[in-house]
Amino acid sequence: MTRTFRIVPAIALAAAFLGGAANAQTIKIGVNEPLTGAFAASGTYVVNGAKIAADEINAKGGILGKKIELVIEDNKSNPTEAAAVAEKLITSDKVPVMMGAWGSSLTLAVMPKLMEYEVPMVVETSSSGKITTTGNPYIFRISPPSAIEAAAFKGIVDKLELKKVDFLVINNDWGRGTAEDFSKMMKEKGITVGAVETMDQGAQDMSAQLSKLKGTDSETIIVTTAVDQLTLIFKQAAALGLKKRIITTGGSQNPDQIIAQAGAAANGTMHLTTFLPWFPDKTPNPEATNYFISEWKKRGFDFAGCTESFRGYDGIRTAAAAIEKAGKAEPAAIKAALWDIKIKGLNGDIVFKKSGPEGKESGQSQPNVYLIEITDGKIGMKTL
Amino acid sequence: MSEFLQHMINMLVLGGTYALLGIGLTLIFGIMNVVNFTHGVLYTFGAYIMFIVVHQLGVNFFLALPLAVVAGWLLGAAIELVLLRPLRGSDIDTTMLVMIGAWIAMQSGALWIWGGVAKSVATPFPDAPLVIGPVSVSWLRLFVLAAAAMLIVVTYLMINRTKLGCAMRATFQDHDTASLMGVNVDMIYTSTFAIGSSLAAAAGALLGPVYVIFPQMGDLAAVKAFAIVILGGLGNITGAVIGGFILALAEELGAGYVSSGYRDAMGFLIIIAVLIFKPTGLFARSERVG
Amino acid sequence: MRAAVAILTIVAFASVPLWLRDPYLMNALITTGIFIIGAMSLNLLLGFTGQLSLGHIAFFGIGAYVSALTSLGFDAGLPFGLRMVHEPWPPIVGFVLAIIIAGFCGYLVGLLSFRVRGAYFVIVTISFAEVVRLVALNWVELTQGPLALTNIPSIAIGLPGLGDLTLRTKLQNYYLVLSVAVIAYVLIWRLVHSHFGRAMRGLMENETLAVSVGIDVTKTLTLAAVISAGIAGAAGSLYAHYIRIIDPEVFAFINTVTMVIMVITGGKGSLAGPIVGGMIFGLLPVFLRPIMAPEAQWIAYGGVLIVILFVLPRGIVPSLAQRFTKRPSRTEAVTPVAPVTFSKRDVKEHA
Repeated sequence: MTRTFRIVPAIALAAAFLGGAANAQTIKIGVNEPLTGAFAASGTYVVNGAKIAADEINAKGGILGKKIELVIEDNKSNPTEAAAVAEKLITSDKVPVMMGAWGSSLTLAVMPKLMEYEVPMVVETSSSGKITTTGNPYIFRISPPSAIEAAAFKGIVDKLELKKVDFLVINNDWGRGTAEDFSKMMKEKGITVGAVETMDQGAQDMSAQLSKLKGTDSETIIVTTAVDQLTLIFKQAAALGLKKRIITTGGSQNPDQIIAQAGAAANGTMHLTTFLPWFPDKTPNPEATNYFISEWKKRGFDFAGCTESFRGYDGIRTAAAAIEKAGKAEPAAIKAALWDIKIKGLNGDIVFKKSGPEGKESGQSQPNVYLIEITDGKIGMKTL
Repeated sequence: MSEFLQHMINMLVLGGTYALLGIGLTLIFGIMNVVNFTHGVLYTFGAYIMFIVVHQLGVNFFLALPLAVVAGWLLGAAIELVLLRPLRGSDIDTTMLVMIGAWIAMQSGALWIWGGVAKSVATPFPDAPLVIGPVSVSWLRLFVLAAAAMLIVVTYLMINRTKLGCAMRATFQDHDTASLMGVNVDMIYTSTFAIGSSLAAAAGALLGPVYVIFPQMGDLAAVKAFAIVILGGLGNITGAVIGGFILALAEELGAGYVSSGYRDAMGFLIIIAVLIFKPTGLFARSERVG
Repeated sequence: MRAAVAILTIVAFASVPLWLRDPYLMNALITTGIFIIGAMSLNLLLGFTGQLSLGHIAFFGIGAYVSALTSLGFDAGLPFGLRMVHEPWPPIVGFVLAIIIAGFCGYLVGLLSFRVRGAYFVIVTISFAEVVRLVALNWVELTQGPLALTNIPSIAIGLPGLGDLTLRTKLQNYYLVLSVAVIAYVLIWRLVHSHFGRAMRGLMENETLAVSVGIDVTKTLTLAAVISAGIAGAAGSLYAHYIRIIDPEVFAFINTVTMVIMVITGGKGSLAGPIVGGMIFGLLPVFLRPIMAPEAQWIAYGGVLIVILFVLPRGIVPSLAQRFTKRPSRTEAVTPVAPVTFSKRDVKEHA
């Protein structure tokens, strides 16, 4: 037993040294994502998207004359680990900039480390409002918090003629935040907000909530959760004979997977997404979208994952652009540069606006939001 | 009123599969006194077997089910032989922790092999539900209820009418005496664990197509199984069946009328309440199997 | 002899920051240390009273939330239109309150243990932890639910004449955790070697006999539960002020499992056990990280656990202690016919 434990740290140290020495010629970008645990599927998509971006940049010669190297670590879908990973990436691997950490509680756990070590992080998926409003100037988020999603939805809501709306949301900051922000927006528009039901993160049976919603007098249900639960909700709603209009939000819907797994139950549902891999020409950057999708397919990944992986792609491109602008791979310079960049992301321009308390603002970009509809097993833009 | 009826239908359907889970665990927990943390993994395993057999091997859905049950039986026997038998006589905590280690390893194995993206199994049933007045229920769920009921009856008969079942009940009451009477206690233990595991796999195989299949799906199921075991009394099959329905009822009504956020808490609240007021479970007239 | 080993160990741990400069490893040591404190508290219940508590994370989490809320302040509604409003207090007060309130919860659980034992107690404790998690998740007004309590201040200690020292750096936090760990260890040591400790062990060995000589079951178990929960609460408070964000995920079952693993592999019923088990399983993920794929790391983790239990079923420390004593070791008789274990008998007589 004791012998093993002397060898293992020795190997680890050796690996760290060798790793460090061999890569003085690369620029490192830290990637802090869940590769195991409850969010493994999504984290893996994001990492694969990130790799496409890194390879594309390196194929074009890298930045500042060096290749970029992604240092990818698994945060195990656990906030304590997310903080530990951030610590490792910053202090051991010496990354000047990070991307992560997928879930909001994971990102929140990392934030104190960013303040401590003064290293910026590009937030690619997390949606909690707190991330950009608690005064952490090292956060630069490209994904929309629910407030921005609600604001984007405002324009569409008139044309849908909503009268009374119920909510069915996942019981975490994302779901609750959506219910809160969307309710506020709807009330401003004179739409009545009915019931707000929640479901636990791991719940698989929502029949009780759906039975309850079946009996209300609202004509629309807004649903916020990830693809697995959405599939279940649609199947269970169909089984209950629930005939209301369903609109999903949040950008983690993965409509292809829903169609594949929920079948006919998915027809008639509408989704607010942040990416349109099915209609590259309608995206703000058709050329880049086409490239991304063809690379994704070439690597044999599941097409359904595009709706999440593009964030990894955009995140890395954002970090790389900032490094290029800064002229050196140093945290302080990169942080300053992030405020100055403007790049064409896959779903809109990435340009950071100030958000949060004065003097300590975080950066928030405003991505586009689209409404799609599933009809007869196919995805179409909701023409309004 | 129609909402209430709908909740009742949901409860019936869910209760059947909960009962299956509970019976499997109460047998293992009751006879072997092992806190079986791999029960949830077996549930997951049963579901993945359905996926492999139906989608990758192209086998008919109805044939796939018995295959999943058999696979669960084999895996359970393997776990018992490799991990539990060598530890016979150890503390309950040691075996529990070994089961935890196996749970972690097996669940991570599932993640490694199949990835984290959820899978679904196509079923031969129509998507449109059966509608009776104001309530709807899907054909698939009715089938699940029927299959679960059949398995419950089969298990009950096996425990109470066969020699093996008799030997199991004897071992439950007193190992030493049973051994003195010529019962091969080792084999009983292996059989018990295998049977319990096959029931968990059956529950997974039945519910996998109803829900979606992913590596952590068994975690919640396992916890509910423990709740049912408590409700029904250790080793009490009838109790486990009734306990399964009670848990389903509490969840449906709790989520429907009290608060949906606390749906999964219902089970736990029940456990605590039962244990405060009636620690042997609601139905344990005496400690027995059957 | 024992004291010398203990002092050497403390000195060894205290000297770590002098030669270990890697902040990542320091961070790992600090979080491991916090969980070791939790494991030591669990050992009190598990190892010395024989009560298998699988909900221990509840006390840890309650301590974390109490401490965080005390230092952040809150404003929540209660039934009947009442409101609870609280202004932020210094974190050190939160630390103390965490111990008290967690200890009180331990008292409640201790009362329950009067009614149920063995396997049932296991389930009750799991349920308790889940209910606490769901309350933390759903009582959003008080706990922020999934939105998480953020910006939790670091612990500050007021030194007379020197002003406040805010423990923000790794070095400071390391010594804070080490101090609390040492205090907890000494406390448990004193308890175990007092007459209460003998009562606890009596209960564990043979309850009927213990009761017959006048040991008060409830009082003994309850006291053990209170102290155990209080120490866990202290660990939770340290966690809250170090990681500085708390959300209901802290109640995840995997955290209880981590502590249980530390105790049992280290050797339950031995004072040093949780520390040894803790160091191994707290740092194992750190060592596995650079050499294995993420899923493989978990498989290895589970595998190491199983191997240790097979090779050293009583835990590392007791097995090693056995190796080093000259007395003939008292091995357990593993007979082909499994002897009826204590807990089973328990179930028959008391459940």
